[in-house]
Amino acid sequence: MSAEVEERLAEAAEERPRGVRRLWPLAVLLIALVVAAAGLFSWSRAAHDDSIALAKTRDAVLIAATSHIETLNSLDYRHVDAGLAKWAAVTTGTLHDQVTQVSSDERKLLADQKKVSTGKVVDAAVFSLDGDSATVVASVEVTVQDDTKADATPTVKRNRFSADLVDVHGKWLVENLQQVAVDIS
Amino acid sequence: MMRWLAMTAAVVLLAVGAFGFVRDHQLRDTDATRNHALVDASATSQVQSQVSQALVKVLSYDYADPTPTQQAAAKLLAGDARKQYDTLFTTLQQKAPGQQLVLTAEVQSAAVKTLTDSTATLLVFLDQSSQRATDKQASVSAAQLQVDAAKVGGSWRITGLKPL
Repeated sequence: MSAEVEERLAEAAEERPRGVRRLWPLAVLLIALVVAAAGLFSWSRAAHDDSIALAKTRDAVLIAATSHIETLNSLDYRHVDAGLAKWAAVTTGTLHDQVTQVSSDERKLLADQKKVSTGKVVDAAVFSLDGDSATVVASVEVTVQDDTKADATPTVKRNRFSADLVDVHGKWLVENLQQVAVDIS
Repeated sequence: MMRWLAMTAAVVLLAVGAFGFVRDHQLRDTDATRNHALVDASATSQVQSQVSQALVKVLSYDYADPTPTQQAAAKLLAGDARKQYDTLFTTLQQKAPGQQLVLTAEVQSAAVKTLTDSTATLLVFLDQSSQRATDKQASVSAAQLQVDAAKVGGSWRITGLKPL
């Protein structure tokens, strides 16, 4: 074997590990790239997951409905205008029109009745939810204080309510509120 | 130099990936997403209908033939609901034959509040009419019930029954 050949062989033997060593960082980089892509992909999928959005909407509807149903079951004869303004703020559609169209005679009547009603939702649940409309059922405790009688104890009544809500520019407003009457013979 | 750059880039990319997974987990693992009510439409309607049917069966009663009611209760009630019901049923059994009492229950609406694979809570509006054959008196009542349910062997049972 000539010295030249021996030298070449030695060079070749040295080259291989050097090549592998050069590939190492590239492999690590590639793996890191895959991890980054997978992480971002699953985040993006969760962010656009319809069922996550639906769960959040359902909870938002329940919170809004609970508060609105309480508002619509509360009125203080000393602040009729303010009370009706609150009703108007949480309603939409025909119900909103009815609330805003309460005449001054009717307002005076409400003031003269001297009643303070306070609604409290004892329990509520979303019955159905479809895009931008929802139905919420609620068990409501309404306490009425009658100020025409000096020392009357307040009356407390439990009512069953069903409320239809619609999403108006990101706000859930009550479109219809009615008592669930007994319907059995 | 190149190697150092590549390692830095790799660390940054791994951090980005990890952040993505953490955000994914945060978005999926919340109180809202753990509750499948309405989100899982078929499971929601299943618990709605099974609980409604169970309530109608255990809250309807005929003095002349109380066995179906009792059998339904044994099959469909568990836990606290069972105990509460047994007390109620004993009282009913004492009064009913004398008054010739017939109770009929009808569910107006059953809304699922929370739902997991094996538990559920519902708000149920239920009407109950009672007829006394002895004096031909009938009365109707509107009930609001907070119902807890648990899934046992593929079907829902009522484990808690609280009138509001």
